[in-house]
Amino acid sequence: MKQLSRLSVRSALFILLVLYTAYAIGPLIWLGSMSLRTTSEIDSSHYALPNTFHWWKFHEAWANSNYNNYFWNSVFVATTSVLVLVVIGAMAGYCLARYPFRGNRAVFFAIFSTIMLPPQITVISLFQILVKYGLFDTLTGLTLVYIGVQMPITLYILEGFFKRIPRDLFDAAKIDGYGDFEIFWRIGLPIAMPAVVTVMILNFILLWNEFLYAVVLITSDEKRTLPLGVQKFMGDQFSDIGMVATGAMISIIPVIIAYAFFSEKIIQGMTAGAVK
Amino acid sequence: MSIWYRRESNGQWPIIALFVGPALLGYILLTIYPVLLTIYNSFFEIRPRNAAAFIGWKNYAALASDRTFWLAVRHTLIWALVAPVLEVVLGLLLAVTIYARAPLGRFFRVAWFSPVLISYVVVAIMWSWLYNYDWGLVNAGLRALNLEGLQRSWLGEPGTALWALIVVDVWKWTGFHLIVCLAAVHGLPQEVIESAEMDNCGWLGKIYFIVVPMLAPTLIGLLVLGFVGKMKVFDLVWIMTQGGPLWSTETVSTYVYKRAFDWNTFDLGYPCGIATVWFAAILLCVILFTTVFRQREKLEY
Repeated sequence: MKQLSRLSVRSALFILLVLYTAYAIGPLIWLGSMSLRTTSEIDSSHYALPNTFHWWKFHEAWANSNYNNYFWNSVFVATTSVLVLVVIGAMAGYCLARYPFRGNRAVFFAIFSTIMLPPQITVISLFQILVKYGLFDTLTGLTLVYIGVQMPITLYILEGFFKRIPRDLFDAAKIDGYGDFEIFWRIGLPIAMPAVVTVMILNFILLWNEFLYAVVLITSDEKRTLPLGVQKFMGDQFSDIGMVATGAMISIIPVIIAYAFFSEKIIQGMTAGAVK
Repeated sequence: MSIWYRRESNGQWPIIALFVGPALLGYILLTIYPVLLTIYNSFFEIRPRNAAAFIGWKNYAALASDRTFWLAVRHTLIWALVAPVLEVVLGLLLAVTIYARAPLGRFFRVAWFSPVLISYVVVAIMWSWLYNYDWGLVNAGLRALNLEGLQRSWLGEPGTALWALIVVDVWKWTGFHLIVCLAAVHGLPQEVIESAEMDNCGWLGKIYFIVVPMLAPTLIGLLVLGFVGKMKVFDLVWIMTQGGPLWSTETVSTYVYKRAFDWNTFDLGYPCGIATVWFAAILLCVILFTTVFRQREKLEY
């Protein structure tokens, strides 16, 4: 009897989990299926699965609705920021973790505390500053801003990792006659690779999806990143649901592919700021 | 050891400057300078092609009687207080369920986390379709259940729009809280849970008497993190409703954006004032939370 009730609780729970899963990923699957159907097919039945896969829609959006342009802009901005961030962040994180100089903690907390700044406190004056220096509406300007925005979390994660590396390792290298920069480059950085990869993935996904700074700092169509492009396309082709879905899919496919391969690493990276 | 270390660091300022310099420079130019500039600007009226005119506290005085601003504050606070609680509670329940060794745990984990990775623009478009009056899934579901009377234009009515947006937010972020809770539950000492099992403690009892108290620091951390995050909410609102209908979803962030870049008031000083006030409010909340919770932690030990 007890066995039976336990079994029924188990299966009730399992059904609940399945329902929640449908709620969590159902909309995404629906979007994916719409991206392969034409708008007239969708209009006749909104929740059907595709009969024929209209792959040409992806080519159409890519080539004729400027998605190739948005895509490469996003790639440029996100990759450049991620690379600069990881180099600067790793150097600073390493130094703050390893050299107990005066003001060390002050520097760390000053940078780290900006993690909670609301973006509005900087976005208006960044707009003014970029206009002043001719960087408004340029990908370079947006990249610079992104580097500033993601610096605190980058530093926080990397500093934490470098701090956990036993000091003996560095002392041994010192005795072997390595210079400061060599120790960082040959020993610190390779050991910190897991944290470096985590930080790179985290920053890449956050910046790939970033919207607020982009919408303020970019105005011309040929400089739009993917989120802006998708939003503009939605505004222009409001009724062409099928194509809007295709465009939206183009913007999330890279993230989905990355997630399929590195799901654990990505989950770890995204929650790195919250787990202490 | 420490003397040796200090002596060493004295000769190393050039190295330290080289390592920390770039990050510090970026921090000063891209964060500190803009923040100070915004605060400074809030005392000016700044119109294009005019010199900025100093107006003292006028922006702040105007803010105090700006009804739209207070509406925006109300909506943002509702969002920041309700959404994190829903997300953390739901996340914790799901975490405990997976921990109770449901089959396919790994698959569920990956599936539930996926909304976190999708950009707000795509989430917003998808959900405005789900909320569509004629063919959106929400109304279609109500029709299927013979509840035609409950159908409405979820984003188009002032009474429901804000809550419809909060549901989307909860959809996107529950997976995040779930993962963090799951890691924390796995970190609990095995003996405690086993001993509760021996005492014939029920499933809900286990959560209430053991998991919640032991995870309190994590849960509070998540709530604070969620609160601070929602105080900034912009993307979802901007893409789905632009603050409408009738200001019913206006948040502080969207109002700042409107006043700065969207309305033809063309004055950058006033939105800087709003941003400064909001920055101070968030700062105050964070300080309050940390002192209150630190105090309580002290009492417990």
